[in-house]
Amino acid sequence: MTARTVCLLLLAPLLATGCSSDEAEPPPGDTQKGRAAIREYGCGSCHVIPGISGADGHTGPSLERIAKRVYLAGVLPNTPDDMARWIREPETVDPRTAMPNMGVSESDARDITAYLYTLK
Amino acid sequence: MNNQDRQDSVQKIRKRIEIHVGIAIAALVVAMGVGAAGFVYWGAYNVSALQQHTEPVFTILNLALDRSIRQRAEEVEPPPLTPEMAEQGRLIYQNKCVQCHGAPGVGRDDVGKGMTPVPPNLAHTAKTKNADEIFWPIKHGIKMTGMPSWQFTFTDEQIWNLTAFIMRLPELSPAEYQELVANDSVEESTDRNDVSASAPARDTALPDPERGKMAMYGYACIACHRIPGTVGPHSDVGPPLKGIGERRYIAGVLANNPENMVRWLRHPTEVDPLTAMPDLDVTEQDARDMAAYLETLR
Ligand code: HEC
Ligand code: HEC
Ligand code: HEC
Repeated sequence: MTARTVCLLLLAPLLATGCSSDEAEPPPGDTQKGRAAIREYGCGSCHVIPGISGADGHTGPSLERIAKRVYLAGVLPNTPDDMARWIREPETVDPRTAMPNMGVSESDARDITAYLYTLK
Repeated sequence: MNNQDRQDSVQKIRKRIEIHVGIAIAALVVAMGVGAAGFVYWGAYNVSALQQHTEPVFTILNLALDRSIRQRAEEVEPPPLTPEMAEQGRLIYQNKCVQCHGAPGVGRDDVGKGMTPVPPNLAHTAKTKNADEIFWPIKHGIKMTGMPSWQFTFTDEQIWNLTAFIMRLPELSPAEYQELVANDSVEESTDRNDVSASAPARDTALPDPERGKMAMYGYACIACHRIPGTVGPHSDVGPPLKGIGERRYIAGVLANNPENMVRWLRHPTEVDPLTAMPDLDVTEQDARDMAAYLETLR
């Protein structure tokens, strides 16, 4: 029973509970399919997207921690519905945006949203 | 022989004492560390603005503050302070300082009441400080007190005007102050609000990225963005600005070049009326300096 053990024992609860935070329901959608869809549509040619190899584009903003972002594209409150809407038809949200409409299907948009919401 | 034995045992005892003292000190350090960690973790410190520091802590903090300002103010050369300057300074003071500091016969607003540390009455300050020691905190602000830095709002000249007015405060009776205020509500009501709206552009100099980085604090950009090279609340209201230097578009709508960046920083809502990034009254020079800094982020 050295001082170090005592110290570690006392610190253990600190480390264990250090990063708890209340989690919201994850949005519906399949994160694995979402990841595949992101590759298929080539979102990574314009965005840095963690967890997607080769996604290192700099045309649009990095999608790191996008789940925590307050606004999407600086104009929409960041909710799963609005995210799916943005991915499907960005031009209806902000006519001036440089993000193109890529004809993403409703269900793909759900899955992509589910994946993007894992990025916190 | 006997002597040798005694010396040996004395040495042994000494060594044992040394080891024990060593262990005791180490244990004390560890206990203090654990105590400090626990103090932080279990939230023992009361951060309420109405729980003042204890008298000794308060005295030490104030001494540190005074010494810090005096040390840095020594490098400031005050110009002669004239009554005309004080009059100009009063107009700014009424707009930007009364809510926290009050004025002769005028109470501070709600913001200035519940704060700790309490914003000092500046008539008192003027009696105890030199002009350079008043100029410095206005220009640079005071960390962890609520006193803002005004150097991205006012020119040095305007800050000297404020200083001139504050130096005059002790001789200004509430009645005299009321008279001054009453007079200008007639003639100057039109431009009162513009006093700070456009800090006259500084001499257009070459863009200075280091100054631009300081402006990220001065305009509170860090309240909404993660900006590499700055320390802040890690906010995700706007996009992180890491890599903004090599981005193709600004805010998804403007081609990324220095002119467009300056335009965006000065008038984002003109560029994109839907945007959540507000206009922050950024001056041309400050925007150029900030754009120069953002360009280095790759
Ligand atoms: C041609 C380049 C391009 C492609 C391809 C592209 N984007 Fe974008 N994206 C942009 C730009 C530019 C913006 C910034 C839009 C704005 O702020 O108006 C953006 C913004 C976004 C945002 C909001 C980011 C933020 O910081 O608020 C999300 C989420 C997003 N894109 C997801 C996607 C997904 C998912 C795909 C693939 C289906 C995709 N993008 C494909 C260019 C692109
Ligand atoms: C949001 C409230 C607030 C506003 C607005 C504000 N101040 Fe302050 N000011 C403070 C606080 C708080 C302190 C520091 C208290 C302390 O000494 O710990 C302070 C300190 C000062 C000091 C140093 C005083 C001393 O005794 O050393 C000066 C000078 C000063 N302010 C001038 C101004 C001027 C001029 C303006 C307007 C341009 C202004 N302040 C606006 C809150 C404010
Ligand atoms: C109230 C929050 C807020 C403040 C304060 C703020 N911004 Fe923004 N900023 C945003 C939002 C939201 C966006 C996204 C705008 C859009 O895409 O329409 C943005 C976008 C940007 C962009 C473009 C980012 C990109 O990915 O294209 C830059 C650069 C920028 N801000 C710099 C600054 C600077 C410098 C300051 C300080 C002068 C500042 N911002 C202050 C919220 C803020």
